[in-house]
Amino acid sequence: MNNFIHPIPTCIDLYEEGDLRGLNLQNLGRYLAEKTGVPFRNPRNIYNRFSEKKLKVVAQEFARIKVKDPGKRFALEVPLQAEIDYERRRLSSSGWRVFGNLYEGVLYQKIVSDLIFEEEIASDRCSILFTNQLFGTWDRDNWRYHARVSLYGFPSLISIVGLVEAPAKPKEFYLSKQMGTPIELLKGEYQGRFLDQCDSRMTEVMKGYAMQALLYHLTGDPFCEDRDCRLFNSHWQEEVLHSQMGGRYEFCPRHESILKKLKGRSPSSSLPYSTGEAGVGR
Amino acid sequence: MSEKKPIFTPVSEKEVTRAIVAAFAKQFIEYVESDCLIIGGGPSGLMAGRDIALKGVKTLIVERNNYIGGGFWIGGYLMNKVTVREPGQKILEELDIPYEKAVKGLYVADGPHACSKLIAAACDAGVKFANMTIFDDVVLREGNRVCGAVVNWTPVQALPREITCVDPIALESKFVIDSTGHDACVVKKLEERGILKTSGFGAMWVERSEDLVVEHTGEAHPGLIVTGMAVATTYGLPRMGPTFGAMLLSGRRGAQVILEKMKKK
Repeated sequence: MNNFIHPIPTCIDLYEEGDLRGLNLQNLGRYLAEKTGVPFRNPRNIYNRFSEKKLKVVAQEFARIKVKDPGKRFALEVPLQAEIDYERRRLSSSGWRVFGNLYEGVLYQKIVSDLIFEEEIASDRCSILFTNQLFGTWDRDNWRYHARVSLYGFPSLISIVGLVEAPAKPKEFYLSKQMGTPIELLKGEYQGRFLDQCDSRMTEVMKGYAMQALLYHLTGDPFCEDRDCRLFNSHWQEEVLHSQMGGRYEFCPRHESILKKLKGRSPSSSLPYSTGEAGVGR
Repeated sequence: MSEKKPIFTPVSEKEVTRAIVAAFAKQFIEYVESDCLIIGGGPSGLMAGRDIALKGVKTLIVERNNYIGGGFWIGGYLMNKVTVREPGQKILEELDIPYEKAVKGLYVADGPHACSKLIAAACDAGVKFANMTIFDDVVLREGNRVCGAVVNWTPVQALPREITCVDPIALESKFVIDSTGHDACVVKKLEERGILKTSGFGAMWVERSEDLVVEHTGEAHPGLIVTGMAVATTYGLPRMGPTFGAMLLSGRRGAQVILEKMKKK
């Protein structure tokens, strides 16, 4: 078997951004290492190693990529000073808790990529940024932006807020919400049927998304069509919970076999480098 | 049989008129120049005005309606219960407004009680009001710094132009607050003049937009502080639903920004 398009990474870097309460990256990293044989590192907050001067420039870039109208194609704008100041405060505070802006996902990935890979993309490392910010991508089918859980590439982005907001909650939830039931009451009524902020299941569920990022890194295809497999690209919260925690198995036989072979292989035996189109997880 | 004494002291109509005109004119002349001019008397403007005036700063609130309080009288769907998320209830406590816990992190109060207490708190702190007065334009100085507002009587706008050629007048101030809600009237006026560009608000997302509104409250342009829902319009933040915690906290943040700037001066 030699279906890897990139070298097996020498390590998996798990970067952090903002307040990631509910997500235990040490636990998640150990899971990845055990399943794949690839060691992990947790360099903590991605912005910590940069100077205030550098962060000022990066803040300006983030301030430009907010999607203000999800129904319109994105266009770069000149941000107001208060928007840049907001981003500076966000980048400078490790446990920044405020979120709600929707960022253009591909451009977000580009900014983070430029920070991680100073000169050229290093495919010997699998880099994943876990963030508490929300990003979206343009859907060509219905002509609007959609919030996403993950955006796979170099690096891959995985959003804990996206995991709560992007996959749809049960239909009845939205009907009750339309009728004016306060969201706090609805959360009680539908408890357990969808993930919420700081959910105790967050780490377990994120293991599957991290594995999708690694599979994207290796094969260019992060997903599986089997809804019992952790690599299933879920549209609904109930699908997320089923594929990550309630499936017949962790991985389908095909992917289980890939992971088994991956664990036993040396990092030098894969095919030459090539870039694929970015994968997007709902 | 003795004649029944009237309850009220007899006063002629002309004395009533003189009292109204004299008191209004005295205050108006005094507040033609203020330290802080707040456009919009909703919850964020009232909160900002109250906190600023408590520090002895001369504060005037301009309100286009006869009534002060904006949307704080009622919650969603015309129901007169207002909600705040934690930590907004701390301000309710500070203003002595009764409230109840709805669910964890969410509190509910009577709209009329909450709104009247907030108005009273602003009045007690020393805020003065020019109601039935509509914002018309900004007063600009060197470097396009906002230094006041041009205003007019609200009814003038509702009448045909041919019979209401009423010129507006100008009020000067060290700082102006735009707390005009979604309209962001002052900010929009600067946009009309090509001085800054707003984004308009996005889709409604209560849980997240409250934090963002407070975090973006501040000086949008020299001399102009933006609070409340006007913040969402200015920076294209998600629109908010009928929950008022961010309005109160944004007003407070706006007051802090002005007081710090005054201290520096």
